[in-house]
Amino acid sequence: MEWDGAVREGLKGKYRVGILALLGGVCIGLEIGVHLFLRTAVGYTHIFYVLLVLSALWYYRRALLVAGGLVVATFATSLVVGDLSWATFLRAAMFLVVTWVVGVISEERDRAKAEVEAQKEAVEKKHFALVGYISEAALRLKNPLEVLRDNLVSIRSQLDNSPDIGELKIMLSVQVTHLEQVLENFRALNKEIVEEREEIPQAYREFLTR
Amino acid sequence: MMPFDLARLGEDRLFLVLSAAERLKQNNIGIIRTLTGQGYRVVVITTNQPSAVLRRLYTAEGIELSKVFFIDAITKYAMGRVPEGEVQCRFVNSPSNLTDLGIAITEVLNTLSGEKACLLFDSISTMLIYIPSTHISKFIHFITSKLRLVDASGIFLAVEKGLDPLLLTQLTTYVDGVIDMDSHAAAPPQKEGGQEGEGPRQSSPVL
Repeated sequence: MEWDGAVREGLKGKYRVGILALLGGVCIGLEIGVHLFLRTAVGYTHIFYVLLVLSALWYYRRALLVAGGLVVATFATSLVVGDLSWATFLRAAMFLVVTWVVGVISEERDRAKAEVEAQKEAVEKKHFALVGYISEAALRLKNPLEVLRDNLVSIRSQLDNSPDIGELKIMLSVQVTHLEQVLENFRALNKEIVEEREEIPQAYREFLTR
Repeated sequence: MMPFDLARLGEDRLFLVLSAAERLKQNNIGIIRTLTGQGYRVVVITTNQPSAVLRRLYTAEGIELSKVFFIDAITKYAMGRVPEGEVQCRFVNSPSNLTDLGIAITEVLNTLSGEKACLLFDSISTMLIYIPSTHISKFIHFITSKLRLVDASGIFLAVEKGLDPLLLTQLTTYVDGVIDMDSHAAAPPQKEGGQEGEGPRQSSPVL
């Protein structure tokens, strides 16, 4: 399962790089084809935002490198074409600002999502551990108590006949020993539950673990 | 008292026997009676009843005690001392001392090599008081492996409906079959030598 996840992540990473490379190629192609040859800087740069937003969504603030690349390409073609103006600077600034904003928001969103996932996983782990412990405790409390009850019934029935006192003492000592251990198991269960559940008030914590 | 059906003890050697809590003692006696009657040397590992008590019960039931050896893990723990004059018995300090229990089982089984031997573990349910189920599972696995190595049989007593599904599944994989001693009412009618519904149900290895 873990291996599957790693492979899936690897493939996803490769696809992302491929898509960004393709979009990057399209953007550079538009920069050269439209700006350099058709001598117009209008319209085509909107396509750049697809590349920038996707880069920022996937790679957060590292997408500023892509934005920087597009800024350099825009400046270079503007210099060659000779239309470098305040509009070019504004466009370049927008590339960087939009990329930075989307990158920061994406990073924060994914961080919060990972945090929620981690918390959920931790709660589930604790829950399963608690269920496992309760099940184990039931196994080590209920059954033994049934055996103890029947042992005591057997001892009582011996009293009706002519009992061997020595043997009865041994039998009772065994039952007391069993009971002490059952009590100890019960205390351990309480302790475990108290440690697991932070919402239990202090007074009850002390009572349960006494 | 219900006889323990040993029909499969030749081909299958290891059984998990499930019994109602109130019939645990009676089923123990029934099994011992059947095994000794079949010429088995029986090693009883007891964590529930002291060996002295079991010895008296077996005597009262007319069981040949010379064929029974005890490994007693409760008397010394409960009484703090070992009763005098106990023969054919090894005492272990505590039911939770699995190392000593394992050594005692190994040594006793070695002394019985070449003989028709069977180990009776009484009981898994009582052991659960002293050790966690994961340790029980590992320990039973150890014993079953040991029994297979020395070509001996083994019967593991437990209270029915008292084992959680995981532990029951694990134990079931270690043994050759599971016998529910108290499901005779649901058992199929016996064709020969028995009345309808008599005798325990055997399943291999699913309950």
